[in-house]
Amino acid sequence: MDLRKELWKHHIGSLFLAGGVALSGLYFLIPRGTPQSVVYDGIGIAASLAIGLGVWLNRPDTRLPWLLFGLGNLSFAVADIIFDVNPDAAVPGLADWFYLAGYPLLAFGLAYLIFHAGGHHRFAALVEAAIVTVAFALFQWVFVVDRIVDGGGSASERAVNALYPSMDVLLLAGLAGFFVTAAWRTPAFLLLVGAVVTMLVADEVYGLSPGGYAAGDWVDLGWLLSYVLWATAALHPSMARLSKPRPRVRQLRVSPVRIVLLVAALLSAPAVLVVQDIRAAPLNVPAVVTAASIMAVLVVLRLVGILRALERIRARLIEADRMKDEFVALISHDLRTPLTSIMGYTELVLDDDLEPKLDDERRSYLEVVSRSSARLLRLVDDLLFVARLQSGRLDLTPAPLDLCALARQAVGEAQRRAKAKGVELVFDGNGSVEVAADKGRLFQLLDNLVSNALKFTPEGGRIEVRVSRNGAAVLEVSDTGIGFTAEEAARIFERFYRADNAIEGQVQGTGLGLFIAQAITEAHGGTISASPRDGGGAVFRIELPAARTAMMQR
Amino acid sequence: MLVADDDDDILLLVTTRLRRDGHEVVSASRGDDALALAREIRPALAVLDVGMPGLDGLEVLERIRADETLAGTRVLLLTAKAQESDVRRGYAGGADAYVKKPFSPAELSTRVRELLDES
Repeated sequence: MDLRKELWKHHIGSLFLAGGVALSGLYFLIPRGTPQSVVYDGIGIAASLAIGLGVWLNRPDTRLPWLLFGLGNLSFAVADIIFDVNPDAAVPGLADWFYLAGYPLLAFGLAYLIFHAGGHHRFAALVEAAIVTVAFALFQWVFVVDRIVDGGGSASERAVNALYPSMDVLLLAGLAGFFVTAAWRTPAFLLLVGAVVTMLVADEVYGLSPGGYAAGDWVDLGWLLSYVLWATAALHPSMARLSKPRPRVRQLRVSPVRIVLLVAALLSAPAVLVVQDIRAAPLNVPAVVTAASIMAVLVVLRLVGILRALERIRARLIEADRMKDEFVALISHDLRTPLTSIMGYTELVLDDDLEPKLDDERRSYLEVVSRSSARLLRLVDDLLFVARLQSGRLDLTPAPLDLCALARQAVGEAQRRAKAKGVELVFDGNGSVEVAADKGRLFQLLDNLVSNALKFTPEGGRIEVRVSRNGAAVLEVSDTGIGFTAEEAARIFERFYRADNAIEGQVQGTGLGLFIAQAITEAHGGTISASPRDGGGAVFRIELPAARTAMMQR
Repeated sequence: MLVADDDDDILLLVTTRLRRDGHEVVSASRGDDALALAREIRPALAVLDVGMPGLDGLEVLERIRADETLAGTRVLLLTAKAQESDVRRGYAGGADAYVKKPFSPAELSTRVRELLDES
């Protein structure tokens, strides 16, 4: 396509919009009568032709809806001319037939676009569109149609006049249906919405105004702008995208606009009742009953749809959770098996009884392999533990046990590592402090805290593990390590969180240890806290319910 | 004694350790083979991997316990699944001990010695 046509395509819409709005303004400045009529009819005819031009320029895949829009607007424009030639013709006259023919053309064009864009697949959204349409129909029926039917004039005049508000319902149905497609994001669609809305507003003002209508009234502005917007929509290049089928969006989306629209629609029946009661106007029982009943059925349909969608989501989540568990089990097995080999064979090679003896250099290399694989194993264990925690499967088998003895054991097992690092590790606590706990998990927790303190305490430091009771069982681990700030104390138990000191000091770790410690403590109904120690270092404090209370809670 | 594991590397690791400790070891890499061997040689101890083709470790354990001629055989389970439920099932099925993978050969040899000392 050549450049000039491209530029032309992009600007003609804006030009038409600007010109149309200017002319619509001019319309109210010139004298009533023929000059006004010429401008009005000119805009109508120009808009119809511009829609044809838009189809030719933008070449949409489906031309039919746009040709229908063009024909609909042309039908209106012809009606305008007929009306202007003979404003006092009896109703129904020729003008009415042209007006009334325009609406179905436009509505059918909108419906065609919606179906083409795949809108009819979205059952839930269509139901919502139907609810809004029914509410609008109720208002039209009670406040506009009823007045026309009960008003003066011949039977045929009243019948034709009553058709107009019905046609507006048709148009609104098309518009509401359009919101169910993803098409509403394109500029051409917004222009179409503008065209329909200005037309509906003008129609409503016309239908509700008691004093009748004369050409040149302000309500004309709505119809004029509507012409201009229909044409601008057709001239906008995005109109070609509007009718393209779009992928289905399977999402439960609850936008505020949607909720407000639905609530307003559902309140329409009571609102009509209240308004008619205040006005002491006769109540159109069939209208209210019909509309309220249809809306009730639609709401139930929508609810069923929502419940089904939730059920599907729940089933998917359960399946995803099961797959995660399987994945964890798989990883657990697949990582542990090779680790068993690596660690086991390294140990066999390092075996003191093996002949010939390893020389010191080779031995030191293999010790690195051994240490590294031990670290890797610990990491895998931590990750698996956290994965199990996340899926809520931390099964504890609590039994009465002595926290004091268990802590002493944990300290005893860490003693060798403390000596190797040159850190003093002392245990303080006597008597027995009974708690109800899962022995394996509690030992993991104690070992975790002691190892953590050891990791962060430099050579020459001191770690104290103290067990006491004050109603609850209390365990404190204090160290003279690098510590953390008061702000960090709040975040230190978060998963994968690492304090600045730990990162700067290049202390290895994943940030899982304290997260696990907290999870184990809380699973036992206890609390864990961390605070900076006076004079540097950190204090970790765990409180567990004493055995009797803990047993009673179960 | 009998050692069964479907992973050749682990099987060699366990048999090597136990042989170095002076035990006489036969090995199998399938559950059904392990059961047949057990019936043939009536080992003092069977070290069984839980996850094996043919019969899994728990099934082999069940059949050993059901066989009166194997009343003297002690069973140690090796498990990669560090699941408490597996351990519980293992003990409920009559296992005398279990060792979690990854294990250190030294740890295994200690457990084996303890088991044999008890009987």
